[in-house]
Amino acid sequence: MNSTVTIRELKRDKCNFVLRGVNLGFANSFRRTMMADIPTVAIDLVEFESNTTVLPDEFIAHRLGMIPLVSTNCDESMKYTRECDCVEGCSLCMIELRIDFRCDRPGTTMNITSNHLEIRPMPDNWGPGNTGEELAKRTPEFGIPVSKSKDFSGFPILIASLRKGQELKVRCYAKKGIAKDHAKWSPCTAVGFEYDPYNKLRHTSYWFETDKAAEWPLSPNAAEEDAPLDDEPFDYDAEPDRFYYNVETDGSLTAKEVVLKALADMRSRAATIVFNIDNPPTSDAMDISEAPMAQMPLPTRAANGSYASPSTGWGTSPNGSGSGTGGQGTGWASPNVTAAGGWAV
Amino acid sequence: MEGDPEDWTSLQKPYRGLRLSDPIKSVEDKWLLLPAFLKVKGLVKQHIDSFNYFVDHDLKAIVRANSKVNSDVDPRFSFTFLDIKVGLPQSEQQDMTGKKALITPHECRLRDATYSAPIMVDIEYVRDGKRIVRHNVVIGRLPIMLRSNKCILAGKNESELAGLNECPLDPGGYFVVKGTEKVILVQEQLSKNRIIVEIDAAKAMVSASVTSSTHSGLKSKTYVNMRKGLIVLKHNSFSEDVPIAIAMKALGIQSDKEILLLCAGNTESYQESFAPNLEESSRAGVFTIHQAREWLGARVRSTRRPTGPRRPNWEEGLECLLMIVLTHVPVVDMDLSHKAVYVATMCRRVLMAQEDASLVDDRDYVGNKRLELAGQLLSLLFEDQFKAYVAQLKTAFDKVLKKPVRTSPFDPYTTMVVNGYIITTGFVRAISTGNWSLKRFRMDRAGVTHVLSRLSYISALGMMTRISSQFEKTRKVSGPRALQPSQWGMLCPSDTPEGESCGLVKNLALMTHITTDVDEMPLQKIVTLLGVEDICLSTGTEIYGRTSFVVHINGSIVGLTRFPSRFVSQFRKLRRAGKINEFVGVYINHHHKTVYIASDGGRICRPLIIVEGMHPKVTREHIELLKAGKVTFETFLRSGLVEYVDVNEENDSHIALYEKDIEPSTTHLEIEPFTILGAVAGLIPYPHHNQSPRNTYQCAMGKQAIGAIAYNQLNRIDTLLYLLVYPQQPMVKTKTIELVGYDKLPAGQNATVAIMSFSGYDIEDALILNRASIERGYGRCQVFRKNTAIIRKYANGTYDRLVAPSTNTPDEKLPKRFEILDIDGLARPGERVDPDDVYINKQSPKDTVTNTVNINPAQVEYRNTPMTYKTKVAGYIDKVMITDTDHDQALVKVLIRQTRVPELGDKFSSRHGQKGVVGLIVPQEDMPFNDQGICPDSIMNPHGFPSRMTVGKMIELLAGKAGVLRGTLEYGTAFGGSKVEDMSRILIEQGFSYSGKDMLTSGITGEPLEAYVYFGPIYYQKLKHMVMDKMHARAKGPRATLTRQPTEGRSRDGGLRLGEMERDCLVGYGATQLLLERLMISSDQFQVHACQTCGLMGYNGWCPYCKSSKKMAQLTIPYAAKLLFQELISMNVIPRLIMDDAA
Repeated sequence: MNSTVTIRELKRDKCNFVLRGVNLGFANSFRRTMMADIPTVAIDLVEFESNTTVLPDEFIAHRLGMIPLVSTNCDESMKYTRECDCVEGCSLCMIELRIDFRCDRPGTTMNITSNHLEIRPMPDNWGPGNTGEELAKRTPEFGIPVSKSKDFSGFPILIASLRKGQELKVRCYAKKGIAKDHAKWSPCTAVGFEYDPYNKLRHTSYWFETDKAAEWPLSPNAAEEDAPLDDEPFDYDAEPDRFYYNVETDGSLTAKEVVLKALADMRSRAATIVFNIDNPPTSDAMDISEAPMAQMPLPTRAANGSYASPSTGWGTSPNGSGSGTGGQGTGWASPNVTAAGGWAV
Repeated sequence: MEGDPEDWTSLQKPYRGLRLSDPIKSVEDKWLLLPAFLKVKGLVKQHIDSFNYFVDHDLKAIVRANSKVNSDVDPRFSFTFLDIKVGLPQSEQQDMTGKKALITPHECRLRDATYSAPIMVDIEYVRDGKRIVRHNVVIGRLPIMLRSNKCILAGKNESELAGLNECPLDPGGYFVVKGTEKVILVQEQLSKNRIIVEIDAAKAMVSASVTSSTHSGLKSKTYVNMRKGLIVLKHNSFSEDVPIAIAMKALGIQSDKEILLLCAGNTESYQESFAPNLEESSRAGVFTIHQAREWLGARVRSTRRPTGPRRPNWEEGLECLLMIVLTHVPVVDMDLSHKAVYVATMCRRVLMAQEDASLVDDRDYVGNKRLELAGQLLSLLFEDQFKAYVAQLKTAFDKVLKKPVRTSPFDPYTTMVVNGYIITTGFVRAISTGNWSLKRFRMDRAGVTHVLSRLSYISALGMMTRISSQFEKTRKVSGPRALQPSQWGMLCPSDTPEGESCGLVKNLALMTHITTDVDEMPLQKIVTLLGVEDICLSTGTEIYGRTSFVVHINGSIVGLTRFPSRFVSQFRKLRRAGKINEFVGVYINHHHKTVYIASDGGRICRPLIIVEGMHPKVTREHIELLKAGKVTFETFLRSGLVEYVDVNEENDSHIALYEKDIEPSTTHLEIEPFTILGAVAGLIPYPHHNQSPRNTYQCAMGKQAIGAIAYNQLNRIDTLLYLLVYPQQPMVKTKTIELVGYDKLPAGQNATVAIMSFSGYDIEDALILNRASIERGYGRCQVFRKNTAIIRKYANGTYDRLVAPSTNTPDEKLPKRFEILDIDGLARPGERVDPDDVYINKQSPKDTVTNTVNINPAQVEYRNTPMTYKTKVAGYIDKVMITDTDHDQALVKVLIRQTRVPELGDKFSSRHGQKGVVGLIVPQEDMPFNDQGICPDSIMNPHGFPSRMTVGKMIELLAGKAGVLRGTLEYGTAFGGSKVEDMSRILIEQGFSYSGKDMLTSGITGEPLEAYVYFGPIYYQKLKHMVMDKMHARAKGPRATLTRQPTEGRSRDGGLRLGEMERDCLVGYGATQLLLERLMISSDQFQVHACQTCGLMGYNGWCPYCKSSKKMAQLTIPYAAKLLFQELISMNVIPRLIMDDAA
């Protein structure tokens, strides 16, 4: 079965496409990956120097965290702070943004918005063994608030309103993360997902009072498929094969990138499984992190593609933040697997 | 078609913008009268009006009644209070120039001060033979009700209020006493001066009673009882019941015929049952007026100390009748005839009730109730205190006047100033404790005031409309608790607490007013002008004549009229024309054949549109003018379009609910049906679709919802303050919400809810929350807690101090717990406080008793008395305030903040009495979603619906969903609101199912859910009950000193009790070792030495009783058992320990 993608609409922050030739499980994993597993940058640590606004520190910190930052190619161009060799943050794993704003205009209030976030260079004190190749993969806009990027149209995000004499002076540190740890790292706002608009597979049952057709407006996706005939027999063996996606992002990544990164992420995970099956861990099954797998050759197709090994253990969340409610019980493949190559599906 | 074409075309022409074919116009938007009403009357206007009346009228009346102070020593001495007034609230402290600055309520809240104003009197007295008048002498301070006419907030606009740190939405009507906000709740009582007829089934007695109460007189209750055919007059001042005939004779009606006519009238059956009573008097040998008074005088309970020779009995009896019995009935020139008619009326009412049980009065009828407000209670308090003050002044004057030689000429003014505190402290004590104990008025009430609950804006508002009943809570009668038909429109049918005070604590409906006293003198004149004949001129024949109606004013009988309907309609016309006060009520009671006029305070009333000739007087044109802001509610009132109607008058009117219901006999039209609900029940969308207890539950829960409290919420330093980080106004609002300002100070968020089962962690009303929603700020709240320290000055000259933390050597590192302190010994705002951290580093002198004036301050020894953070979860210092109190003590308040994110076990509720705790928090990718990718914020189990029948919640979802899709706010106003049909139409237009159901896809499998899911926004409230404040466990910990058992309660780190019922389970199961462990080993295990000879306890292997250590045994018993034995021994009961297996 050949899988195909038909792109129906592609904008910076929206991608509407039809995926064919995959099964339901794959289709849903793809959706979930897009929502929760694509790394982005978001402010994770805020140091307050001065806050005389009416809002408390935690309040502002939470608001700052929710601001989408441009995270193009984040998975390759940045390191997770916990995996970085540096001691207290370096340019590879953190981005410093600052707000230093004081309202001096009498009589009116002034707004601090996401546009007041100014990026500051982080020290290049990388640990040993780092080449800084990640920096080379960054775009010039990497890390700035989406509202400041050049092809953004709309209003910046309000952080706080200040009256005369109030001041906000903060240092924010943006880190790489995934939405499984906090919703602020999700590149997606909503992911629409549908298949079988006519319910030919009878995966659901329409509830209606008098007339099913009148009471249930058809989804726009129904145009893609043939309406069932009145006397069409029910096919027990039919499987869904056309999936309609509508990916919308908050601007930190383009919709296109989300889709591509999600596919790459799934592929690398699958590769990890295949690899581990082919090279079963020798000593303790639970202690795979110590197996010298990073050095082993990986199944590759493209010349530059390589599959890194999972470096985290089972059941811990990538940030190791201790909260880990979402990640518990699930095995994690390392999210920073790079996979530029492809795999024949 | 025949007819003049001219006429026809003229008919076709629009007349005043209308065509013939147009439907008959209705008064649309007549509800706009409601905001106009609230603008002038407001939700708490009754409190403010009552307080204003007290300050402006009652205060003066009390002083006038007690104006003279005489001296027993010097008869020439004269001292008079001329006038009294209350100034503006000002500080108790003087500033540098000796002036007292004006204070704001907010300053008082922060400084723990009392928001009070000086009470000033004008006095006149004689000094050195000269008459001296002094103005504005301060005799004390009166706590001022916020927003009353003496409050500095009165008449201020929004920006001025903001300048005073006051919230414009705050209703006022409360006091600030010692920094706490106190409300004097409205008290409900049976009306005074009205005859109430009741049947006591147990005693087979019909009784008419009346409680007389006048401004200056005593309160006393008079009964006319009928038992076994005999009618008696009963009063506390008579040692035995007075047969009615004797009473009537004593009241000046001598002839039996006259008595019979007055008491029974011409009705044969009444005469028959009354007749035996006439015999009673002759049996007692009483025939004349004089004999009757002699008889009575012999039975008067004299309260007075006998001074001088005892007066003759008849004089004693006459005085009692004049002064004590039925004090509210006026007596002019010793003419008792009014009282005689009054007693006769009571008697006749008893006879009527005896014959026809339906004529018995209902105590629970709202028309028989009066509400006592802050003003009345304060006036009682002031009267008591002023009398005490005057008495104190008198003794002080006498003391000086007694001295034969004085060093300086006597000036009463100086004495006055010294004695001033008594009134001030009296007010402050009464309001801050809530104890109204006035010996003078035989009044001893506790719990009159309450702390204003600031949990949410609605809880504060709800408190201002609350009415508490005087009935005791333990009585097992349902009458006072039941919903009364007569409370329609006056008291909210939904808003009452559950449990012991159910139905006794009520709330005012939205559009009500409580009257204050109106002078009745002009009324009497008007009544006479309208042709009412004086009652004293008529005999029983006329009074009970076929066509005559008796006219009562405030319970006293005034006269007779033969044309009651004409009289009442003329009276009403005068009132509508504004010639009579709008709050005077008049109605006809056809059973009693009376016309009652009421002008007393404490009646609940509400405005209604007047209907005449089947047309409401308010027309669309009037409403247009109102909309344009050209007229106010007052204009409607003055032009006789709208009038206030009290419960009794309402019961005598024919009120149409809607315009279409108007019939020829209709007298009034409701302004808006939803005003039968109060401010709190008004928040519920579609309450008319809910099962009624659900609305009651929501009324209780709306007060616990976390949200915005007031515009000045961040300037306040309250003991405990809960705020929502992102409060939202509800998608489905009601008109009430807009009127009370809930949309500006909301307490909740519009959550997208899927009504489906999910995971099994949603049983028993538990909710599922979306983790991403929580992380984006759903249900996030802040908790502020106040911590106060007073930096005391001690009598010996020492004082507490705040010191910077220091170490012994400069290089030493400061312990962690002192790290957040600044050099002033107080924590820096913004710092994180961990458990056991010090945030106020206070030191107190070790010796606060010895006089240390001569000791070098450096030598005073101090000990550490720091304030440490006790809570288990870290917080942040939000604010630190240093100020001083009115008593020159420095006051430090530290506000500590926590930001809380919803967690498992936190309580949420919708606006339909449906509460639940969070059962599971699910990652967004696992949540179900619709084809657009919309995920619910929360999932509710559908089992919550069938038994609760909260259809309103379903409609709220539907209206909310339609509103969200269309971008409008929908209305769920009671008895109205957006229609389901319209909402469904919008849903269809937007491409959704009209039923509100959506096809959802499982986030876990990607398959569509087999069933369709009701899906849309519902307004959810986060309630103040959070797990963080409740969770508790202990392994070992503190024990109580006396019993050595683990302490109780979370705050004391107590143990978890294995109670009686749990014990029963273990006993039943036979788990002896577990019982032993739970009840003794883990609790209060104790080793005792007991003597096997005497069975008593000893110590150290020695029996002090036997003086022996031979047969001592050691055993383990609970310490409580040992304690019991010793206590029994101390009572001369000897428990002996008899051991059969002692080693």
